[in-house]
Amino acid sequence: MWRCLLILALAGSAQAENLLHLYNWNNYISDTTIARFEAECACRVVQDYYSDNEEMLAKLTAGAVGYDLIIPTGNAVESLIRQHALRELDKSQLPNLKNIDPAYLNTAFDPGNRYSVPYAYTITLIGYNREKIRALGLPVDSWAVIFEPRYLEKIKGRVTVLDSQRELLAAALKYLGYSANDTEEAHWMQARDLIIRAKPYWAAFNASSYIKELTVGNIWLVQGYSSDIFQADLDAVTAKRGFRIQAAIPGEGAVLSLDSMVLHKSGPRPDLALRFINFMLDGKNAAELTNLIGSGNPNRDALRYIRPEIVQNPAIFPVSVQHLEMLRELDRHQRRVLSRIWTEIKLR
Amino acid sequence: MTKPYNSEARLGKYLVGGPPFLFLLLMFAAPAVITVIASLSYPGEFGGLAPLVARDPGTLHGVTLETYRFFFSDFIYIEIFLKSVLMASATTLFCLSLAYPLALLIARSPKKRRDRLVLLVILPFASNFLIRIYAWMIVLGPQSALSRLINGILSLFGLAPVHLLFSSFAVLIALVYVHLPFMVLPLYTNLEKHDPSLLDAAQDLGANAWQRFWRVTFPLSLPGVFAGTALVFIPALGMFAIPEILGGTGDMLIGNLIKEQFLVTRDWPFGATLSIMLTIAVLMIAWLTAKLGARRYV
Amino acid sequence: MYSSRYGLWAAALAVYAFLYLPLAIVVAYSFNDSRLNAEWVGFTWHWYQVLLHDEDMLIAAGNSLLIALVSSLISTVLGTLAGIAIYRYDFKLLNFLVMAPVAMPEILLGVSLLLFYIQVLNLTLGMLSVLLAHIVFSIGFVAIVVRAGLAALDVSIFEAARDLGASPWQTFRHVTYPLILPCMIAGGLMAFTLSIDDFVVTFFTAGVGVQTLPLHIYSMIKTSVTPEVNAVSTLLMLLTLALILAAARFAPDMLKGKY
Repeated sequence: MWRCLLILALAGSAQAENLLHLYNWNNYISDTTIARFEAECACRVVQDYYSDNEEMLAKLTAGAVGYDLIIPTGNAVESLIRQHALRELDKSQLPNLKNIDPAYLNTAFDPGNRYSVPYAYTITLIGYNREKIRALGLPVDSWAVIFEPRYLEKIKGRVTVLDSQRELLAAALKYLGYSANDTEEAHWMQARDLIIRAKPYWAAFNASSYIKELTVGNIWLVQGYSSDIFQADLDAVTAKRGFRIQAAIPGEGAVLSLDSMVLHKSGPRPDLALRFINFMLDGKNAAELTNLIGSGNPNRDALRYIRPEIVQNPAIFPVSVQHLEMLRELDRHQRRVLSRIWTEIKLR
Repeated sequence: MTKPYNSEARLGKYLVGGPPFLFLLLMFAAPAVITVIASLSYPGEFGGLAPLVARDPGTLHGVTLETYRFFFSDFIYIEIFLKSVLMASATTLFCLSLAYPLALLIARSPKKRRDRLVLLVILPFASNFLIRIYAWMIVLGPQSALSRLINGILSLFGLAPVHLLFSSFAVLIALVYVHLPFMVLPLYTNLEKHDPSLLDAAQDLGANAWQRFWRVTFPLSLPGVFAGTALVFIPALGMFAIPEILGGTGDMLIGNLIKEQFLVTRDWPFGATLSIMLTIAVLMIAWLTAKLGARRYV
Repeated sequence: MYSSRYGLWAAALAVYAFLYLPLAIVVAYSFNDSRLNAEWVGFTWHWYQVLLHDEDMLIAAGNSLLIALVSSLISTVLGTLAGIAIYRYDFKLLNFLVMAPVAMPEILLGVSLLLFYIQVLNLTLGMLSVLLAHIVFSIGFVAIVVRAGLAALDVSIFEAARDLGASPWQTFRHVTYPLILPCMIAGGLMAFTLSIDDFVVTFFTAGVGVQTLPLHIYSMIKTSVTPEVNAVSTLLMLLTLALILAAARFAPDMLKGKY
């Protein structure tokens, strides 16, 4: 068997064909969409995955090359633009760009959309086990339920927060009434103290397994991404758990992560990548992603193909985006200070 | 093999030793030097290192002690080293107390059986490192038999249930599990060499089993203890996968911090500085255990 | 005396149980007909079938095997040379270079190689960078086995060869080489298992394009734990077990804890 595998691996690397190298989030495109694109362009899509923007940037810094297309979040797009790592888009090849809701164009991280095209968005919010949280009478319309010991003591060890320096800090800053992009060190220290005070009540800093923990019923309340909460609810319903997982955007506001398609300079096939972007801007294709994972969709043409219960879910398609913020990139000094704060949070 | 003649020796030394020497010079010594240089650099604006020589004037460049100053400027980094040392010490102690009876038993078994008993220690160690960690994820998981047993007993006394997984306890138990053979083997090789007549003599002089152990066996085994300590303590000190997979909200060790500098913060100079600090700690421990292990205790 | 002996046996048995039970559970649940590693539901081969159709897993396994094969061959050659040079010519500096990567925490090797590849060699991380890294830490293990094998030989046969007029090369080719060949094979097999099992050094030197089996297992453990992980673990355990036992046939001392 091993010899067969060896031959398989060698054969796989020896084939020369039309390949589109896509560096994408885990589970961030539907297999049917991929298959349809492959049929249309007579090419093959090869994907590598990351689970965190920082990870993706770090791997690119560590010399990862050969990616035609990457789908980073806004602040990472900003970093890549400033590194001169991206190709400018040839918009004449992107007639479907007209489908994008102008509210998601011309963002602070890429004015004029010279390099990036919106793909999908998620909101970092509160996900919870409806039955348990209702029975305990806890409020879910505020970050207080994540940070305040008076609420947390009822759900000690049943709460997880994201294992992401930026996201957790942003939630704490929001709860304190600051901007998620506040970089004043004094405010960061306040946020740190808030987090350290709440930490004894949390079960873990968690990156992705909280979906399963919510579904199984071990964890009742999380800081998480809207699409993950949607997934957890689907799983809970499928498994007939007898409870539902719901999401709520805290009144203080939250982080909106707009993921965009960009062309990396190291990619050998910008032509295929542009074709892929235009393909994904088609409402039907864009809708497939939302129907699969419950992400927000900046594509107006897609809305009519999306299942109504998703379009009507305010945690996925927020009624107003006013108190939602996109994160900005930090400079090297701020990154070091944040890492130091994070060390302290983990250590205390 | 007798020591060969001089001229032949020199030629042979470099002919035979040359290829591995050159390879390791390039692939081990040079990277070590680069790590030192990296620790003396500024961080690049988007990660990586700022250049040593300016490409465009006005950009951050050159050599600096900045990261070292940052390291020593507040107690938090010393603290994480101390915490890692504490964890590695606890691991070593538990390994020692589990390995000692086992090594003693093997050493005192009939000659024929010894090899088989040693083999039984090595075999689980042949399974993949991650699999051994994963095994504890299952054993300590909330639905596992062990968790239910412990929480069942706790609830009999009206105590709140505990989470075994994602805790310092889980980290410690996996650290012990992964490193245990490194303690058993040097202990066994030492204990096997002990002359049984010494114990007989002690018995004839009226020493009981306890006294024979503490006055004869244990002091004689100290070189083995120190060798095992080095083999367990040093890798345990730099571990990052175990705290990452099994740890809870507070289980960050020095290895995790180093990993974070390279894979999250993109602060390579500081990551390199932390690596160098860890190297210094490791060298100190290796030196100390070698020194203690070489002493005569009886 | 006898009571303390029973105490010793009890303690030792407990330690053996501690060593084996967790792994036994991993193996058992690989046959469990349930997604959760919790209760025994029923016997199934399902997870092994899933495994055989998991393309990512197969590619990762292929990469791991290829890297292990090449790195163990190269490190056997280099490690044997190193073992001879250290034993015969007392090459102290080489001894240090060979032993240091074995003795230090793996993360340090991984980090320094990452820096070296990117800052100096400007090498794109991938197969080659992982391969070179694996050779660095494997050389030491081969050298140790070979040197120990040489030390165990009877000195007089080399003197006899020289007295009979054999050149150093002839002595090596006809006397030393056949005698240390078993050690070389054992060392090579050891290098193979080290490479196929390595996680930490690979983690830092692999970049994103190359998945090896341990890296793939790691990402599975971190995201979605299904018994497929148990199944691949069981197979990998069987493979390493076979290799270790094979290595032991060539250098029986290896399993007596002599190194």
